Amino acid sequence: MSVSEIALAKGQTTNGRGDEFRRGLAASVPVLLGIVPYALVLGAQAARKGLGVAEVPLMTGLNFAGGSEFAAIQLWTSPPHILLIAAITLLVNSRHFLMGAALAPFIKHLPRRQVFPALFLMCDESWAVGLADAQRRAAAGLRPAFSLPFYLGAALPFYLAWVAFTTCGAALGPVLGDVETYGFAMAFPAVFLVLLRGMWKGFAAARPWLVSLIVAALAHLAVPGAWYVAAGALSGLAAAWFLAGAR
Amino acid sequence: MIDPMTVLAVLAMAGVTYLTRIGGYVMLKNRALGQRATAVMEAAPGCVLISVIAPDFVSRNPANLAALAITLLAATRLPMLPTVVIGVTSAGVLKWLMG
Repeated sequence: MSVSEIALAKGQTTNGRGDEFRRGLAASVPVLLGIVPYALVLGAQAARKGLGVAEVPLMTGLNFAGGSEFAAIQLWTSPPHILLIAAITLLVNSRHFLMGAALAPFIKHLPRRQVFPALFLMCDESWAVGLADAQRRAAAGLRPAFSLPFYLGAALPFYLAWVAFTTCGAALGPVLGDVETYGFAMAFPAVFLVLLRGMWKGFAAARPWLVSLIVAALAHLAVPGAWYVAAGALSGLAAAWFLAGAR
Repeated sequence: MIDPMTVLAVLAMAGVTYLTRIGGYVMLKNRALGQRATAVMEAAPGCVLISVIAPDFVSRNPANLAALAITLLAATRLPMLPTVVIGVTSAGVLKWLMG
């Protein structure tokens, strides 16, 4: 039976909606512990770039994608360069295309009025938790494999915590002073390096990353501004394209 | 105070991000990617992440480079939270020691 047939098959869920939601809440706890420091750091860095306590939750609540928010704040000027920020946001969040595609077989039986709001809450963490749970349930023969209340229980606390703690970070930022002196700037490379390790599939598959790293570093040294991200990412994608052809 | 240009930039970010969230579901749910397109899509997240932090690898501050080396080592074997704590602590301590 294919994944989509499993998702489509009618059957009993073992728990009620409330139980499923609570199961999701429990799954979100370790993730919450992990994100609070980044949320505070992001809020504090945003405050340093001149964003106010009302503007930070506007960004983190409407955009709700931490990686792109760190990148945008890094590149933030006054007034902001809107096209550059939108382009970098697209590049950083392009992984969502892959994530949504992986989730599609599990959610395509759901009505669109549920899918579109649910996808708004899709971030690395809620996606990973929701997909892993759907795969587990599919393997155990539970129908439907994707439990929407579980997913919402895992995703909503994450959303609320992200918005609340980035706002706290913005409010506390001026009190903390220059976060760079405390070494908080290293939180960002640390997060990204751990995410990269999670994506690691051997050295051969990582060759495009090496191309990106070298080109981005050289571009950063040679060209002022934030174009190094686009230069690095696009040359890495080009490398992936050529390497796939050479195979 | 809310700056109109900031609101515009935030709305642009939010619109782009939401499109990436629904895009994979809308476009790819009934379609299979070719071999090269799949390879590009698989490499994309890593290429973006490494590009964003590339300036840290060519920092002119020796304390930053040393802290990055420690963080990189931690990232290869520890979970997210300890890696961040080690990264931030080593950067803070090394900057204090090395000026």
